[in-house]
Amino acid sequence: MSEDHAGHSAERSRRLTTGIDRRGFLAAAGTGATAAVAGCSGLGGGGGDTIKIGGVYLLSGIAQALGTSSANAARVAVKQINENGGIDGQDVEIEVRDHGDDPQAQIRSLAQEYNADVMIGLTSSGVTLASAPTIESLGVPFTLTDIGTPYITEPDTDSFGNYFEADDGKAAFTPNMFRTNSNTSHMTYAIAKFVADNYGESRVANMGPDYAYGQQCWDYFKAYSEGLGMNHEYVASEFPSLGASDMTPQINTVLDAEPDLLFTSFWAGDTTTFISQAAEQGLFDQVDDVFDTIGADPTVYEALGDTTPEGIHMSGWYWPTAYDNDNNQAFLDAYRNEYEGDDTTPNIPGFTGGSTWAAIYMYKKAIEAAGSTNSDDIISELEGITIDNDPRGQTTIQENTHQATAPCVIGETSFDADVPYDGAGLVNTQTYTLTRERSLELLQGSGLGPGL
Amino acid sequence: MSYGVRERLLAPDNRMQVVGIAAAAIVLVVAPFVLGGFQTSLLARTLIFALFATAFNLLYGYTGLLSFGHAMFIAASGYAVAKVVQQVAPALGIESMFGGAALMVVWILALVIGTAMAALLAVFIGYLSVQLEEIYFAMITLSFSMAIWVIANQDIIGSTLEAFGIGGGTFTNGSDGLTFRLGEVNLFGLEFRLVDIADPIAFYLLTLVVFAAGMYALYRIVNSPFGTTCQAIRENPERARALGIDTQFHSWMTFILSGAFSGLAGAMLVMLKTGVLPADAFWTSSATPVVMTVIGGPYAFLGPTVGAFTYEYLRWIIRQYPLLEEFWEFSFGFLLLIVVLFFDNGVYGGIRRLREMIAKRRE
Repeated sequence: MSEDHAGHSAERSRRLTTGIDRRGFLAAAGTGATAAVAGCSGLGGGGGDTIKIGGVYLLSGIAQALGTSSANAARVAVKQINENGGIDGQDVEIEVRDHGDDPQAQIRSLAQEYNADVMIGLTSSGVTLASAPTIESLGVPFTLTDIGTPYITEPDTDSFGNYFEADDGKAAFTPNMFRTNSNTSHMTYAIAKFVADNYGESRVANMGPDYAYGQQCWDYFKAYSEGLGMNHEYVASEFPSLGASDMTPQINTVLDAEPDLLFTSFWAGDTTTFISQAAEQGLFDQVDDVFDTIGADPTVYEALGDTTPEGIHMSGWYWPTAYDNDNNQAFLDAYRNEYEGDDTTPNIPGFTGGSTWAAIYMYKKAIEAAGSTNSDDIISELEGITIDNDPRGQTTIQENTHQATAPCVIGETSFDADVPYDGAGLVNTQTYTLTRERSLELLQGSGLGPGL
Repeated sequence: MSYGVRERLLAPDNRMQVVGIAAAAIVLVVAPFVLGGFQTSLLARTLIFALFATAFNLLYGYTGLLSFGHAMFIAASGYAVAKVVQQVAPALGIESMFGGAALMVVWILALVIGTAMAALLAVFIGYLSVQLEEIYFAMITLSFSMAIWVIANQDIIGSTLEAFGIGGGTFTNGSDGLTFRLGEVNLFGLEFRLVDIADPIAFYLLTLVVFAAGMYALYRIVNSPFGTTCQAIRENPERARALGIDTQFHSWMTFILSGAFSGLAGAMLVMLKTGVLPADAFWTSSATPVVMTVIGGPYAFLGPTVGAFTYEYLRWIIRQYPLLEEFWEFSFGFLLLIVVLFFDNGVYGGIRRLREMIAKRRE
């Protein structure tokens, strides 16, 4: 036994020396990182001469393209603001991080370590609702640019229940959170209205991702349809899991139910999977029309190539050619200039582009009006603020709900669309807006809140 | 502790240990007053995970049973905590009974019920799991935790209750999970917010109390005859049986203890996160204590704690760099590889060996 030990000890000590080197390396790396971070936070902390914007988006996995296009739009806006004198003469800096495995840690880190003055972000309704108490206690103004759930902008806890206190609560309004994109309530109203105007009462089937978003979209679509006086026959409802690679069983079930119309709530990678597999099974030939809530994105059409069926109706929070105004043109020009040479991303903004761009300009206006980067001052400026140069046309943040009066857009898929990639795009686009009053009227009896 | 406390504390064997624990205690108590908000909550999270990993290690390092489903205790405890905060406490009228101290009562109630729920779950799942050993044990615990994930994610409880005419079909609230807000405490004229992300000192100190109590209890368990029996089972189950130990029963009891302490950690974690998600029961969450323990060293009491610190702070460093963050699993895997290849018993073993070497050099 003892010989054994002796025999090993030489080798062991050799290993130990390398071990120390590695440890030394790790320690040095750690110290370096700490110093770098300390350096960063030392620079701009407490309203120095830079205004800091923190962003958190999904930059990996299923929604990578989506989060990246939001981050890109934000960076272009920041660059343009800096070229035109910054905010109140101060330079603007932006740091965008991935959700990672712990989005709340990223939010806290940006607010407390990076010392962000204002924040934008989030690519998941679930993460948004789970992070709301954290964001509330941080107190930093936080604008959602990509979030569907109507709950987060619904303040009426008496009628719809407090999300943070009851099982079935649907009102999760948070004082320092705002939203510039149109939400699920807008989208499903737009599709319900389009169906009512163009098809009347029909046999409708549903497909959507198997989590809260898919379920909510379907509930709201049915509620708005009923409010619009449509007694559709609902023949099937299928929820493939989020990120499913095979949707053929669900597509078959829907085909067997022989619907006239199919309502879907897929987005990003799921839209691509759904359209290519549904096309293979001939779904688009067998139904009159297919709708999708937020699938209309350049990255989706580019990935699908010539597979996208023409003539179906897809919606989104923004589509580049849907708005005829100078602000939109300015946004498109700036975006193209920035990403023209970049072949990793299309050089037109995605469906979250408009709302993200608007959020940055909204902050510029609010900070200049507040005259400081004090959170409470900015928040009181944001309530009721009008975003003048919103590419989607002038929008206003509602004072009591913090939701922007943003339009959503529905278009028809076509290969004649004016797009800078090989694939389909949207033509004959129409925008829809909805007021809280009208929404309350339509949703009456459904138990769902407008979130507008 | 009835006699000779002073002698025992100052005995040469214990002196280093006592000094070390005292130093660590001082650092941990002073830390929140020196660190900023972010670092304080990171430290609180790390302590919670240290407790969780140590509880897990009661089964793994001490009894030789690798559970790959320990996240289920976090989830069981977490959902119980959320229910206590959202519904049980208001229904009991705690607010009107205790006034300003109500939230502290809710906190204790949540902690007790959360731990009890985890223990209860461990009673049933433990009984079935300890029938198996080695890889089969890992697989069955994994299956149970994934079953719990499905139950939470599909809200099967909610639908079942609805079928019996109770509730509106939501119980675990599906993929969104349950989120809650913990408000203000007014205790003896001291007003503070229980979980304040911007200034988490109050919650940190509560965490430290729970951590210290939990770790002390676990330390006593592993150093008792019960703990020694665990190690006998780890070393050689046949021989342990030959000595008259009912290994299955003993493993079951260890499983329950491990589950209960994991539940205690889970209750604190869920309150720190102000919510619970089905993902908290997913297998990736079960991997966290395994990775922490392997990094830290399973064959030392403080191994999992060292692992938790290494894990959380390396994760923090990685998060600072977008490029590293994008491939954080890779960065982590690399670290794990180094530890497994070059260290005998994790980082803790590495530290110990370094200490021995320094001592030898001095001689």
